[in-house]
Amino acid sequence: MTSAPPTAAPDADRSPPRRRVDRGPRRSSRRTTAHPVAGMLFVLPFFLVVVAFLVVPLGFALYLSLFTKSLVLGSRFSGLDGYVKAFTDPLLLDGFLRVLLFGAVQIPVMLGIALAGALALDAVTTRFAVLYRLIAFMPYAVPAVVGALMWGFLYSRTFGPFTGLTTALGLGEVDFFGGPLLLLSLGNVVTWAWTGYNTIVLYSALQGVPREVYEAAVVDGASPVQVALRVKVPAIGRAISLAAVFTVIGTLQFFTEPQVMARFAPTISAGYTPNLYAYNQAFAYSNFNYSATISFTLGFVVFVVAYVFVFVSRRRGAGS
Amino acid sequence: MSTSAERRAAARSRRFGEPSPRVPHVLMAAGVLYFLVPLLWVVIAATKSQPDLLSTPALWFGREFNLVDNVVQLFREDGGVYGRWLLNTALYSGVSAVGATALAAAAGYGLARFSFWGKRFFETALLGMIMVPATALVLPTYLILSRLEIVNTVWAIILPSLLSPFGTYLVRVYVAESVPVELIDAARVDRAGELRIFWRIVVPMIRPAIVTVFLFTLVATWNNYFLPLVMLSDTDLYPLTVGLTTWFNTAQQEAGTRVLFTLVVTGALFAIVPLITAFVLLQRFWRGGVGAGALK
Amino acid sequence: MLGIGRVGRTASTLAVGLLLAVAACGGESGAGGGPVRVSVWAWYPEFKGVVDAFNASHTDVQVDWTNVGTGPDQYAKLKTAFTAGTGAPDVAMVEFQEIPTFVILDALVDMGEFGAGDDRDLYAEWAWSQATDGDKVYAIPVDGGPMALMYRRDLFERHQIPVPTTWAGYAEAAARIKAVDPTAFVASFGSDGGWINGLMWQAGCRPYGYSAATARDQVKINLTSRECRKVFEFHGDLVDRGLMAKDPFFTADATAALDSGKYWTWAAAGWTPGYVAGSLKNTAGKWAVAPMPQWTEGADDQGDWGGSTFAVTKQARNKKAATTVARELFGSSEAAWDVGLNKAFLYPLVKEVAADPAFTGKAYEFFAGQKVNEIFVPVSGKLGEFQYTPFQDFVFSELNDRSAEAMSGSRPWRTVLEETQKNVVAYARQQGFTVTE
Repeated sequence: MTSAPPTAAPDADRSPPRRRVDRGPRRSSRRTTAHPVAGMLFVLPFFLVVVAFLVVPLGFALYLSLFTKSLVLGSRFSGLDGYVKAFTDPLLLDGFLRVLLFGAVQIPVMLGIALAGALALDAVTTRFAVLYRLIAFMPYAVPAVVGALMWGFLYSRTFGPFTGLTTALGLGEVDFFGGPLLLLSLGNVVTWAWTGYNTIVLYSALQGVPREVYEAAVVDGASPVQVALRVKVPAIGRAISLAAVFTVIGTLQFFTEPQVMARFAPTISAGYTPNLYAYNQAFAYSNFNYSATISFTLGFVVFVVAYVFVFVSRRRGAGS
Repeated sequence: MSTSAERRAAARSRRFGEPSPRVPHVLMAAGVLYFLVPLLWVVIAATKSQPDLLSTPALWFGREFNLVDNVVQLFREDGGVYGRWLLNTALYSGVSAVGATALAAAAGYGLARFSFWGKRFFETALLGMIMVPATALVLPTYLILSRLEIVNTVWAIILPSLLSPFGTYLVRVYVAESVPVELIDAARVDRAGELRIFWRIVVPMIRPAIVTVFLFTLVATWNNYFLPLVMLSDTDLYPLTVGLTTWFNTAQQEAGTRVLFTLVVTGALFAIVPLITAFVLLQRFWRGGVGAGALK
Repeated sequence: MLGIGRVGRTASTLAVGLLLAVAACGGESGAGGGPVRVSVWAWYPEFKGVVDAFNASHTDVQVDWTNVGTGPDQYAKLKTAFTAGTGAPDVAMVEFQEIPTFVILDALVDMGEFGAGDDRDLYAEWAWSQATDGDKVYAIPVDGGPMALMYRRDLFERHQIPVPTTWAGYAEAAARIKAVDPTAFVASFGSDGGWINGLMWQAGCRPYGYSAATARDQVKINLTSRECRKVFEFHGDLVDRGLMAKDPFFTADATAALDSGKYWTWAAAGWTPGYVAGSLKNTAGKWAVAPMPQWTEGADDQGDWGGSTFAVTKQARNKKAATTVARELFGSSEAAWDVGLNKAFLYPLVKEVAADPAFTGKAYEFFAGQKVNEIFVPVSGKLGEFQYTPFQDFVFSELNDRSAEAMSGSRPWRTVLEETQKNVVAYARQQGFTVTE
């Protein structure tokens, strides 16, 4: 990274976001030329895949969700009864509450660490920063299944590295899979995996902030930390809230880590998260119809939460 | 948080771009430790024998250095099935990533630079598509594909993996920001065909976005667990994620006569090395693209 | 079955149109002459040897074997296949507790139609009765898990603690173990549905009753009898007093604990000798097996943990050939049992094989030369009737989840069974069953 003045257009090939992020969508970029058929043809292959693997399966799932299946009577049409049941199913509601609680702690922590990392990267230009960028990103390349298995071993009370640490601190052997610690243990696995990814996203956004915006603050005698918190962070507010939206979507669909960790942690019940519940309904209890209902309910909640989130953060952004 | 030391440092470095490096470096050092230790553990654990794995300190080597034995056992177990899983994973993720990237690049360009009936609606729907839980799609997709008798084949993994609304969205944003309309108009005036314009002018200009989408879809398929878990029932078709958990579950069940924890750990190491290598080698390209998704 | 009616077909047709070219690539070999090929799903260790033995001794039928995953993983695939109406193998390995579940899903063939009823006298009575329903033969038993107590002979002897013969004695031993070594436990409460079930079985608890042949829509659920309660109250008490650990079985932690002197006993099953010999290296030769502690001094009540069968699925192309495979993969095949006993360490449910001196007289190095099967074999004869529900996955998962709550202290142990009973009954009613308690 060079600290070239923003007037010199940077290598267009590599980092165009830096050039235009602050200006918002340009009028001219919205202008399109009149070749509707060519445009349609460009979109067509993707459109077909969307229809085949998104629209049709979703329609099919919706259809399934309108039936109720019981072991004795088989399946029969029941309209929206399944949804009434889902919204009053204590196990499902528990699952929702759990992931919301989980997200309320894990998301701010993770984005906080990612933001700190991004600001640190933005502030220095040493080789170490380059190295950090790579290392922070590595966990993203680790399959969630493998990550969960790894942490399952690391949390071990008998041979994990933390046991030595907790024993030295006089806490004895700590059960990372038990009681209230379990959610934190799961949260750590997710934080480990995704912090680096978000660091890079936020760092790229920081790169797009024109230098003159904070040069003024520096001239006014603000410390680097003040510049970071008062100028840089607000400047990438949109990127932060977008990262938050994607994380919220991921959190509501929480599945792989608890599914794998259930092998270590008996407290991970069949309805621990909504997605796990949907999985168990289908694959353990053969109730594909109710599973579809839960998936749809989950999708609906994700949709609502994400849109509310986007709406609120846009409003806030417009207000400030 | 702003200490007097930092103030002094700030005063010392008048020119912007040289603030006190201490705070950032301390932060980054802590981060490196956090991100690296679990990976380091896998490397060390892969060198241990089973008794050592369960009894010696986690972050140092065991009494015997067993890496070679573990690797040999890994690639011999069940008639060398791990090698197959590795190849399967590479095949599924490679083909899916190329396909999904091609679809996303074309569609993203089409949406950003053309106007046609239904475009607005499709663009709005795109954001919604990103939010559909993947797990909600797998089950009905299975039921449909089983009618077509292509479950338990490579197509059952590759075809659904071609879907990348996020990739399309990312390319669309990137094209809108970095491919000037004037350039395309000029090419049209020169009577260049639409495909030629796309291939010769647009693709080179959006290369970072393409590499990013490629890597994202590569990782997504490489790491996918749920889809192959549901779609495949032939061990020879499994990707690494499903294969490894099968071994792990066998290790965890009363059915096993041998405990396979070393196998699982060594297998985990070989499952993550290729992707990390790909990221390190291609980092020059993806860095520019990752941020594009944060633009909107 | 699922409501994949017209709309489903329309959707499929639509998708066919979209996928056209690709679908053609999923080619399939046509049926020609030669032997009938029967596909089998199973996760027995060393199973290849068994398949080879079968294929070598049969010319008209040949087995194609796949291991699609262990236990729940394979059941998930089976259930999806039955929902989809395609994709199931001809023959599947199914554990005893799952048989009624697959029967009510209408997934299993009555092998009685192909003469499998003749095998009745070959197998242990309890196993045959679990695999059949009246005259209908839904599964052919293979292996079981009669329970006995594994203990660290060296530690018990060194500290002069008597090997418990009753559960009261077990509790005393647990307290003395803690006094000798505060980091040790008598055992772990392993969060394993089958294990708890075995303990309940031994205590005389018979919580379930179901027979599809008699009444497809009636099920008995009674988890709150005195016999069932005492199992949970006893073990819960040991857990609460810190005498029993909480590690789930078969995790690396539990394995390490067994192998390091942290656990002194394990209420194990007939298949454990193979498992422990393969995974515990440090403590090999220090263990011994004793009969299960009894609830009443001098009684001889026994339980079973685990066991499996072969069943023929309704999707089998050639049901007769599939039945042959299910009956003869193990059956009385000497070659198969040679692999089964000496490599896979299965506990045989074929009475003749279990009674063979080659099995009962086998000395195990891991148990310092003890002939442990002399203890396991009589247990199998004492097991008696035990039935399961047609939704046993739900029941086990309830039992596990509620026990886990009790272990983490958020639920008193005495409410575990009450709550499970309540939830299971509600689930059964919702599924359309008439429940008797």
